[in-house]
Amino acid sequence: MDRLKSGEVNLGTSIMAVQFEGGVVIGADSRTTTGSYIANRVTDKLTHVHDRIYCCRSGSAADTQAVADIVHYYLQMFTQTSGAPPSVHTAAALFQKLCYENKDALSAGIIVAGWDKDAGPSVYNIPVGGGMFRQPWAIGGSGSTYVYGYCDATYKEGWGREETVEFVRNTLALAMSRDGSSGGVIRMCVITEDKVERLFVPGDQLPKFWEGREIVGGAVKKLDVDPIPMAVEV
Amino acid sequence: MSSSSIYSPPGFDFSNQLRNNFMLQKGLPLPKATSTGTTIVGCLFKDGIVLGADTRATEGPIVADKNCEKIHYITESIRCCGAGTAADTEFTTALISSNMEMHALQTGRKPRVVTAMTMLKQMLFRYQGQVGAALVLGGVDATGAHLFTIHPHGSTDKLPYVTMGSGSLAAMAVFESGWKPNMEREDALNLVKLAIAAGIFNDLGSGSNIDACIITANNTEMLRNVEMPNVRVQKERDYKFRRGTTAWKKEDVRKLIVEEQTLLIGGDEMDTS
Amino acid sequence: MSIMEYNGGSVVAMVGKDCVAIASDLRLGNQALGISSNFQKIFPITDRIYLGLPGLATDVTTLRERFRFRVNMYTIKEEREIEPETFAHLVSSTLYEHRFGPYFVEPVMAGLSKTPSGGVKPFIAATDLIGCLNFAKDFVVAGTASSKLYGVAEGLWEPDLEAEDLFETISQTLLNAVDRDAYSGWGCIVHVITKDKVVTRTLKGRMD
Repeated sequence: MDRLKSGEVNLGTSIMAVQFEGGVVIGADSRTTTGSYIANRVTDKLTHVHDRIYCCRSGSAADTQAVADIVHYYLQMFTQTSGAPPSVHTAAALFQKLCYENKDALSAGIIVAGWDKDAGPSVYNIPVGGGMFRQPWAIGGSGSTYVYGYCDATYKEGWGREETVEFVRNTLALAMSRDGSSGGVIRMCVITEDKVERLFVPGDQLPKFWEGREIVGGAVKKLDVDPIPMAVEV
Repeated sequence: MSSSSIYSPPGFDFSNQLRNNFMLQKGLPLPKATSTGTTIVGCLFKDGIVLGADTRATEGPIVADKNCEKIHYITESIRCCGAGTAADTEFTTALISSNMEMHALQTGRKPRVVTAMTMLKQMLFRYQGQVGAALVLGGVDATGAHLFTIHPHGSTDKLPYVTMGSGSLAAMAVFESGWKPNMEREDALNLVKLAIAAGIFNDLGSGSNIDACIITANNTEMLRNVEMPNVRVQKERDYKFRRGTTAWKKEDVRKLIVEEQTLLIGGDEMDTS
Repeated sequence: MSIMEYNGGSVVAMVGKDCVAIASDLRLGNQALGISSNFQKIFPITDRIYLGLPGLATDVTTLRERFRFRVNMYTIKEEREIEPETFAHLVSSTLYEHRFGPYFVEPVMAGLSKTPSGGVKPFIAATDLIGCLNFAKDFVVAGTASSKLYGVAEGLWEPDLEAEDLFETISQTLLNAVDRDAYSGWGCIVHVITKDKVVTRTLKGRMD
């Protein structure tokens, strides 16, 4: 991350948002770092910007907090003046505007997700640089690079709430295990028309996958069939 | 003086920058300002917040101040520990303290910790890390006890126990092993003392004495130099010079007492009996 | 080499019993080349406050005038003399105003403040180049010989020195520190401020 200013607080981060029938599930790890030091091991990167709209923050902690605070303020003003809650698209467009117009000064990768009356559940990805893309699922942060393949291979349309939560939990656990600047606990939010439900997975109860096996003294179990010698060109 | 007005506009004055950048180009590097190497901590307990700090200020490898104050006043029930560039922590906390007082007067309410936190983070973010203040903000308000860290770039964290400065690793090690939820006042103060002591003895940028501040709903107790583990021992002998040791060439004495003599010119003295 | 070492010079201030002393060298240099042996670095602000400004000579001159102006404005507005504590904050604020383009000086102040009972209280303070105040109870140092001054003063200073003894201590501290600094020296000046008089003495020192 050479976009960060020296000594800046970094959200190393694995973040994710997935829409499903009736809502969205968002999730994030909880690690904040300054260099190699973990400045906060229980960070909440799922930031409230409106009743049914949240954002997942990655990049510089200061930049993303400042942007989220501004959007939060605008959405409150919007609600008061228009008399109706904003759509997720409106929120995402605000984020996009701020991130694009100040792209030279910011390092912020944000995923905006939520539920609104017009579109139902929706997920918008706003990567560094200030683009805006609506996606059925989005991942972000330094940990995301390790799990693109897993997401591509696993995601299916038409999932329910439980399957989606499990997908987010597994993806984040895999990302956190491979990425040094992600870790801690998993925080998730399920945003539906009726409510926002917070889910928490402690660091010692993360889903486990194959974690490698020690091979003592280089002794490998002998194969049943003798290995076929490589063909040598005469 | 470029302006003939006696009033100067508020805020920073950048008029020397052209000259200074020129000197920088000529290969004269900028000298470093006093920084507080520092261990500062904060800790939540049953009925409030305990803040702690060491008292060493450094200028490069030199100890510039052996007993400085790093716990700054924001309001009666909100205090702020500062690490980083000493002048920046001093002036940012003073400015926010002033703004908080104005805010309290305007709203007629006791100000909240989040208000101070938001003011500080917005100011530090505006200066993009150029104002080098790393802060631990703690206090008690109508919504309860709150503890924050604020980094120089303007990011904030809300945690039950926090450390900052060059001694933060040593102090955090103490907190991570000793902190428990809902601690008693004495236990919390002791833990804070231990955390600062860890910084003082294990971090070269921190030293001298321990300052602490206990903030509860209806009382704030500033414990200046609660512990002094590094008192200088009495010198065995002194190096007092015999008067006249130093040779001097010229002396000028400026008398500050004006010798007054009242001379009565004609008439009698006033009858005051 | 830093800008602070361009012209050289050092200042030290010490607290005594109901008195304070402030002393400086008299050198003005252009890096290693000596230019003047009569360059004033300590300026009287009021009868009982003296200000030492070691650092870049152009800023020494500029700031001296700036402080003279601001102290005069204060005196006119308030219709009273400025107190040392107030003056220290005035210096600090003036320097911090230039946080992002500083003046290259490290001011040292010494003075006597009035107590409610009519007595006097010794006061010394120093700031860094961006105005971070350091109120010491013993002594403060600044300038190119500051590291040496710290060492010597730490050894020689003791509490409750009478004015004449304080003169000897501060003189010997400065003289000996400055002899080990290439950029300070060429004569010294000492001011000892007491309740009823200020004694200024020019010292005999090495001129090499």
